[in-house]
Amino acid sequence: MTWLVKQIRKEEWSPYAAGALLGIVGILTVVLAHALLGASGGFENVAAYIGKLINPGNTYFNYVMPAAITYPVVLLVGVFFGGMLGALSSGTFKVRTMDNEQWKQAYGKQTWKRWLVLFLGGVVVEYAAGIAGGCTSGLAISGGMLLAPAAFLFIAGMFASGIVTARVVYGKKF
Amino acid sequence: MTYVIAIVLGVFFGFSLNKAGLTKYHKVVNQFRLTDMAVLKFMMTALVVTMLGLYPLRAMGLIVFPTVPATYIVGNLLGGLIFGVGMSLTGT
Repeated sequence: MTWLVKQIRKEEWSPYAAGALLGIVGILTVVLAHALLGASGGFENVAAYIGKLINPGNTYFNYVMPAAITYPVVLLVGVFFGGMLGALSSGTFKVRTMDNEQWKQAYGKQTWKRWLVLFLGGVVVEYAAGIAGGCTSGLAISGGMLLAPAAFLFIAGMFASGIVTARVVYGKKF
Repeated sequence: MTYVIAIVLGVFFGFSLNKAGLTKYHKVVNQFRLTDMAVLKFMMTALVVTMLGLYPLRAMGLIVFPTVPATYIVGNLLGGLIFGVGMSLTGT
């Protein structure tokens, strides 16, 4: 029992252990909720409230991603608290400005720059998830486990451009 | 009730992401620099574990799969290509 508590309180698990936990959550999501895990869809449902204010007749925000407190939105609330719980359990919880040592070495140490890139990158990520029909969790993992070809096309594209982007940002230090 | 289930599932989802270190910039970007394979190990383990649970359950007739994400080759691939840029820049 103390062994188990000690394992849970570790800041970083083996990716295999954490992956197995997510796998079990993936099974339970299908069994209990008859749904899939996802992150980007929830954001789009919330964004639809603003989207409909600007353009009430918009097809995407009326039919594809309607403005509503849907299951993915509630899931996101859980993810927020789950991440917080994870940090609390390892005693690493703190309010921070998304600082990261490696980031500072690559981009410089200004916080505003981090936030700007995060914001713009977030727009890119969410836009791309809209085109592809899901993100890393909703399409790559959830689609992959159902053997949807879409998931593997997405993973291929994601890694190809991700590696190239990292190569551009890091240059010789790649 | 559905909301309670969604919250609980979300909590474990977020918890596993946190413990895998995927909430950290360097974890994600180092996957793309190919210096830290944690993200791929995490994703693939989750995939395999879920498959091991879901396919036997379906074979026994206990569950029906939810709607499979739609495949439209150009969109999936193009979306993935744009997604990778944002993911690599922000490390999220």
